[in-house]
Amino acid sequence: MVYFIGNVLPYITVAIFLGGLAWHLWRWTAPRIPHFVALSPFPKTWAGSVGFIVWQILVFWNILKFDRRLWVGAWPFHVAIGAILGGHVLGIYTLGTQFHMIFPYAITEALSESMSVILGKTFGIIFVAAGAYLLYRRFAYDRVAAVSAPSDYLHMFLLLAIGGLGVYMRFVPAASLHYEEARHFLAGLFLFKPEPLPDNPFFLLHFLLVQILMIIFPFSKLMHPLGMLWNRWVVNRPYEEPAMGLPGVQLVPPAGVMYEDSGRTIRVEHWPRFPVKGV
Amino acid sequence: MGHHGPTPEGFRRIPTWEVAKQPAERPKKPATPKTATKKTLHELGIVEVPDEHKVQAALERLHEQIKQRRSYMLAMESCVKCGLCQENCHTFLGTRDPDDSPVGRADLIRKVWKRYFTVQGRLFGKLVGAEDLTLETIQKWLAYFYHCTECRRCGHVCPFGIDTCEITMLGRQVLYWLGVVPALHADSCAAIHRLGNNMALTKSGAVDTLEFLSDEIEEERGFRVEFPVDKPDSDIVYVPSSADFMLNPDTLKGAALFFEYIGANWTITSRMIEAGNFGYLVDQYRTQRELVTRLLESAKQLGAKKIVWGECGHGWRAAKQYARTMADVNGIWHIPIVHIHDEIASYIVTNQLELDPSRITRPVTLHDPCNYARACGHVENMRIIIRKCVSEFREMYPNGERNFCCGGGSGVLFDDPEMYPMRIRFSQKKAEQIRETGVPDGPDGGILCAPCSICKAQFYPMVEEHELNVEVKGLLDLVGKALVFRGKETSGGKKW
Repeated sequence: MVYFIGNVLPYITVAIFLGGLAWHLWRWTAPRIPHFVALSPFPKTWAGSVGFIVWQILVFWNILKFDRRLWVGAWPFHVAIGAILGGHVLGIYTLGTQFHMIFPYAITEALSESMSVILGKTFGIIFVAAGAYLLYRRFAYDRVAAVSAPSDYLHMFLLLAIGGLGVYMRFVPAASLHYEEARHFLAGLFLFKPEPLPDNPFFLLHFLLVQILMIIFPFSKLMHPLGMLWNRWVVNRPYEEPAMGLPGVQLVPPAGVMYEDSGRTIRVEHWPRFPVKGV
Repeated sequence: MGHHGPTPEGFRRIPTWEVAKQPAERPKKPATPKTATKKTLHELGIVEVPDEHKVQAALERLHEQIKQRRSYMLAMESCVKCGLCQENCHTFLGTRDPDDSPVGRADLIRKVWKRYFTVQGRLFGKLVGAEDLTLETIQKWLAYFYHCTECRRCGHVCPFGIDTCEITMLGRQVLYWLGVVPALHADSCAAIHRLGNNMALTKSGAVDTLEFLSDEIEEERGFRVEFPVDKPDSDIVYVPSSADFMLNPDTLKGAALFFEYIGANWTITSRMIEAGNFGYLVDQYRTQRELVTRLLESAKQLGAKKIVWGECGHGWRAAKQYARTMADVNGIWHIPIVHIHDEIASYIVTNQLELDPSRITRPVTLHDPCNYARACGHVENMRIIIRKCVSEFREMYPNGERNFCCGGGSGVLFDDPEMYPMRIRFSQKKAEQIRETGVPDGPDGGILCAPCSICKAQFYPMVEEHELNVEVKGLLDLVGKALVFRGKETSGGKKW
């Protein structure tokens, strides 16, 4: 069983994960965008569009603007996920010396490793706390509970279990796993020369739950980071407006008029383009 | 379910903050609009699918639609149910019915999509929130997709930009093909196919009204403004809303006064006296396409170089963003379509219009129509105009892209006893916003500027029901009033 979880299942998991991902992205990309169905704000250029989307991704702007009580859970939660994923890749690959590699003269290898441990603990706690808060929110708000399916709770339980085990292994020395052991095992998987799982039940469970997460990922709402990109590609795009000014009209616009509004005066040099923004 | 249907003291006085204390519950039977008669459906060329085939037919239509439009597909598969949209939706604020919130409404289709067309739904069913499609669900579609006013506030606030309005459109389109259409929408669509506009206005009727309006302007201002109809070799085709002929004549007058002022060679085309587009709201495949095609054809026939759109929110979106890709006309027939507000605003910032704000002395507040603000980026221009036209302008908050819907958007203007209270309830948030501006408090009340035909049609009864002392006007009404015709006019008319 341990052999299956450690040395066979990972290949099945990755195949389902990548295959499911590819299939879903195809499924999302194949339908057409027959009409221009963009929403506000209406950027003038593609750079503006991309900037807006990046801004939304980085600060969760809409959540911040419209629901602070959701933002205090959602934003730290996702930042922690980003940090933890990055930490796993870098920390395990460089054996905790990632900060030393980035700033070789300022940070020693030992300092880097302890930084890695402290950051891991911090983000782990943020992840679990914010996740628990989001889960509580789903239970506590009857309006949110009314639209939640069992899977909405189960996803969060799964994430919390993974995160909770990670934090536990970080904090309890007896349960912890060294970078070397983890790297040895993972390298074996990546190089198709599977090594046995480290003898640590917490790691076994952590690793198994992550695999379950990866298997359901493409077939669940966990796809939402990608869904957001695909969706915003449809609704946040620039639009070329027709020029203003009516044909065959007897009035001729004077050049460089001074226009005053709300106590400010501006000089209008050209026939304005839509939307008329001067003030 | 005490909060559904009129309460003994009347449905109008339940503030949204009171409603918010009630638990979010689903009513046993949601208010449902009256459906169209067989005769009307026959006129539209559809036959109601018999009950025993409805589910199968609905599934086929859903699958066919969703797999061909990306906005539908993404809305089906990327929602995380965070609930952010719920308290930003005026229907939820008015009723506390979870299915009346964007996420709940979209879930009526999303659950079905999950059940039949996704791996997880077919394997795990209820666990992932998938549900079989039943006749009751289809009945719920009829209720909830016609509670949605397609205001897109949910799309605006959604962190992922999921536009639940698209789902409403999908639901309504599928219902239309099943032959389940509210009488109001079906009658309007039938009138479009029969006579060319929602209000079933004939050409002679329109010309009569316009002559009458010319007389009115002459009486008030002392000079005559003609409304050319079907004038060949016109540079500009103006598309008014058909409701302007009956309900909002000042809006039509305002447009004519503006064109007169700038000396435009303009005309109204009798084939297209409809800025609105009910096809956009129920049937994009036949009626909307018919209207946008007819628009470009008739403008081409009259030799127009530009189409100028009148005051209609959803119609402006339907024309501006769909005409290019939807109309069945030769590509070279596409001529620029602009909104009259944009044009007026650009004439104002180049100081070419003389406007006298002292003619409108009562305080004015502006309701941003949803389709302008969120769907067409049409916010600043209205303010440029209004600030120059009135003595006192007060913003109503939240405004611009964050405004709340009037409660009647997308033709939710039902008069039947079941839906009318809902419609007034949906406007509860709006009434609170208007009250907060203080505009209704003055001795003579104030003016509520709502530059969209559906908003106006909703506000006329709504301000009565919510006891708001405001007069509902369009933006063009104000422009027409404030324009000073030096050497022509004998008076500015009665002060507003």
